[in-house]
Amino acid sequence: MGEIRALIVDDSSVMRKIVERALRQAGLDQLVVHEAGSGAEGIEVLKSKPVDLILSDINMPIMDGLEFLRQIRAQNLAQGVPVVMITTESSEEHVKQAIQSGAQGYIRKPFTAEQVKERVLPLVRAA
Amino acid sequence: MLFNGVRAAAIQGRGKITVLGGREEREQTMAVSLRESVQRVSDPRNLDASVEEVFRLMLGIECKRDAGPANAESESVTAVVGFGGMLSGACVFRSGARTALKIAAQMTGMEFETVDDTVKDGIGEICNMLAGGWKGKVPELAANCGLSVPAVITGRDYNLHVQAPEFQLHHIYRFDDQTFEVTIVCDGIQ
Repeated sequence: MGEIRALIVDDSSVMRKIVERALRQAGLDQLVVHEAGSGAEGIEVLKSKPVDLILSDINMPIMDGLEFLRQIRAQNLAQGVPVVMITTESSEEHVKQAIQSGAQGYIRKPFTAEQVKERVLPLVRAA
Repeated sequence: MLFNGVRAAAIQGRGKITVLGGREEREQTMAVSLRESVQRVSDPRNLDASVEEVFRLMLGIECKRDAGPANAESESVTAVVGFGGMLSGACVFRSGARTALKIAAQMTGMEFETVDDTVKDGIGEICNMLAGGWKGKVPELAANCGLSVPAVITGRDYNLHVQAPEFQLHHIYRFDDQTFEVTIVCDGIQ
């Protein structure tokens, strides 16, 4: 697989690094990572940098992950780019909200690198 | 130390469940009640399972509940994640500084000598996953109880005090020669 530009949105810098490591372990070794600490920062990144994949937390200050999803769809940012939510929220209701807001995948924290591989790689290949 | 600010954030920010229907959003009233299910919510096995899962999957560490006492260290790290909505309260993680450094090192693959912002960030995220994992064991809570963002406190020789909670779970866990404490405080349940 060639170069993949990923945007990782999480208010925890440690979690952003863990997600990046999981993506590399999943086989995305030619990975270019952009980081954002909130949905609002993620919007700013998307306005200036093209990406191939977005991974976002839900519970974040300033702008949470669901509002981030709604904003990128409303502003026609990152059209056709797969979005995967990575979050501690695991109820069916949260999954439904994420999918209805435009997410294509959902990974519950804590997660394994294998789960990231199973849920992210097919989306990247299909995009 | 009181947790009102953290709990208020959870209640204000996450207490309402929003369901998207077409272009319209409507707020769904919480119709279910946990009042009759306090025993199920306070089942201590849920907390043990959540702790073991988070440490095994995110840190590659097998940790087990321990009879205690926890290792005594004057410098400690405390992370708090508030619950709001159907259940109000908090999940509190507390360990000595050495244990926090070891957990952060295991999470990041880096070595730390002091409890810096990265260590605090990592411990806050551990507490966030413990809180999410614990509430996720009870379906009504998973859907109707929100989490605040973590708050992390560091310092020496301080005590935590909770005023008459509805119920409280306080467990000590051990991995290698390290111990840490996890407390679930529930001060209101619908």
